[in-house]
Amino acid sequence: MASGLYRLFHPRSIAVVGASRNPSKIGSIVLRNILSGGFAGRVYPVNPSADSIMGLEAYASLTSISGKVDVAVVAVPAERVLEVVEDAGRAGVEFLVVLSSGFKEVGNFELERQLVSAARRHGMRVLGPNIFGYVYTPSRLNASFGPSNVLPGNVAFVTQSGALGIALMGYSIVEKVGVSSIVSLGNKSDIDDADLLEFFAEDPHTKTVIAYIEGVENGRRFIDAASSFSSKKPLIVIKSGRTEAGAKAAASHTGSLSSGPLLWEGVLRQVGALQVKDVESAFDYAKLFASYSSPPGPRVLVITNGGGAGVQATDTLAENGVYLREPPSDYVEYLRSFLPSYASTRNPVDITGGASDEYYYLALKRALEHPEVDAVLVLYCQTLTTDPLKTAEAIVKAVLESGFRKPVVAGFVGSEESRRAVSFLVESGVPAYPTPERAASSLAALYRYARLREVVVKRLEYLALARREVEGKKLVTSF
Amino acid sequence: MECTPSFLIDSARSEGRSKLLEHESFCLCEHYGIPVPRYGVARSSEEAVRIAKKIGFPVVLKVISPDVVHKSDVGGVILDVRSPEEVREKYSALMRNVTLRAPGARVYGVLVQEMVPRGLEVIVGATRDPYFGPVVMFGLGGVFVEVLKDVSFRVAPLTPIDAGEMVREVKGYRLFEAFRGEAPRDRKAVEEIILRVSELIEDLDEVSEVDLNPVIVFEEGLGAKVADARFMLR
Repeated sequence: MASGLYRLFHPRSIAVVGASRNPSKIGSIVLRNILSGGFAGRVYPVNPSADSIMGLEAYASLTSISGKVDVAVVAVPAERVLEVVEDAGRAGVEFLVVLSSGFKEVGNFELERQLVSAARRHGMRVLGPNIFGYVYTPSRLNASFGPSNVLPGNVAFVTQSGALGIALMGYSIVEKVGVSSIVSLGNKSDIDDADLLEFFAEDPHTKTVIAYIEGVENGRRFIDAASSFSSKKPLIVIKSGRTEAGAKAAASHTGSLSSGPLLWEGVLRQVGALQVKDVESAFDYAKLFASYSSPPGPRVLVITNGGGAGVQATDTLAENGVYLREPPSDYVEYLRSFLPSYASTRNPVDITGGASDEYYYLALKRALEHPEVDAVLVLYCQTLTTDPLKTAEAIVKAVLESGFRKPVVAGFVGSEESRRAVSFLVESGVPAYPTPERAASSLAALYRYARLREVVVKRLEYLALARREVEGKKLVTSF
Repeated sequence: MECTPSFLIDSARSEGRSKLLEHESFCLCEHYGIPVPRYGVARSSEEAVRIAKKIGFPVVLKVISPDVVHKSDVGGVILDVRSPEEVREKYSALMRNVTLRAPGARVYGVLVQEMVPRGLEVIVGATRDPYFGPVVMFGLGGVFVEVLKDVSFRVAPLTPIDAGEMVREVKGYRLFEAFRGEAPRDRKAVEEIILRVSELIEDLDEVSEVDLNPVIVFEEGLGAKVADARFMLR
């Protein structure tokens, strides 16, 4: 089923209202991003006082454009937005992306109400206002005033906060988390989280969504859309305002306890979302879900060259309900055939501080081939005698030869060279992190999601069944 | 008194009350299959004795008044009444207390109720959130709720899966399990009450808040019972 937002993400043409020859204007930055991103559709700058902008013919209004305009990005002062809405409506625009601020966020509720009702009258949907735009890499579309060098991938990021969103665009580039989409929601006057989750649930280019949420207007609709989304793909939620509860007065009545944070915790569990406390974990998990999303079996093997890293990972896994089992005996036998006698062949397997790339390769490859191992966590602590990049290459080789069938997650601790090894691993499709804890909790998120998904699927089945029963009764009585 | 939600809500409204009286609350619970203590409303000490005999001793006496918010503060609750003689005596004492400490309060009678045996105390509640609509709460009683905020929420309508998760996700969940020689608690009975409350708050638009506090949970297989119920109307 095609989502109502399909054309927003796959426009055949886009207009930028408020583009100008002044390159520092927001409209101009957006236009530049659209052009430099390589968007294949038609692009129309709209500005009544210019003939051409960035080599494109400029139009005085949307109605003066002869072709059809699917999306109009609006970057004019708030007081001029309503006239643009009328112009867009007459021009047959389908989506308004309103970057302008000066609406609800500054107490201007009436102007925002007028914006939405005018758009509705013309059958248009509104993204924003008060946003930095949106990005959709499968269409090579960057209609935002954020960074231009966004890394394509399959993580969609939806944010209510503009400033944080732009910052995170940058963060995703640094962390090498490729995105399918970045959407700034701002005031959510019309299009909200539920609409986007409906679109991304069906979008073949998106494997996971990170949502930064401050609040929602229509809670029921959010619950329906989010539940249905997480029954298909992992949903990671950063919910701001978690500590409000601490300030609430002590009282035992339900009403006073149902303050935001406690209720939201319940809601997020109910919809099967992974609630994370910080941005770092959100992107850590997304990095993993970009490669793996189907739940592995419970037999996790940890391979490390340092005992401490192994223990930290074991603790982190256990805190998340993942417990290590003894490795298969024939695997242990195999390890014994080449490892030094002081190596530990329990789980975590400690292949010793002097472990060569060859040890990593052999230990990992055999683990990935072994039918009694479901997922592997590879840890590396930088030493004077080993080279992080070579170790990373050995890991990638083993993973490639295994055909990426089992989740492999790496944690590399050390200097700048280790960081480079982490980047290399991520670029090669192996989720990697600079600490054993981050690697372990990301792997554990895969198991957490599997459990959440199971619950949400059962819940949806139950509700569907209950609904059918009610409808059945109605049929009987009306008959 | 007719025990249907519409009758109860209408009669409270006609008297300008935004809160159901205790016997009305029990009655509404019963309508939704939520287990409550055996109870009756007495308007004389002799009637109280008759009801108490029917229920079986010990019983609790509680004043029924729309004007007394904290019944225990004015001596309007007397626990553990063990014989007909004691019922007569405590009935008069209760009336005296209320007349003295809450002069002018309307008194509709005295609720005579079964004294609920001891057990694990939990809270089941419901309220209306401006964004999510009806929501249901579960928590362990006393300090767990008041100090530790160890509660869980779900948005109605709840499924049995939600009710199960709500009970298991509070930190004090282990109190339901067998420990120190005590038998495990009847978790299923609590989940059932949670589901009934979800149904109630979904059905009855006029109810703004539900507080079943405490609900006493017995050993596995023996169920649970609401010891005190409070319904607020919008």
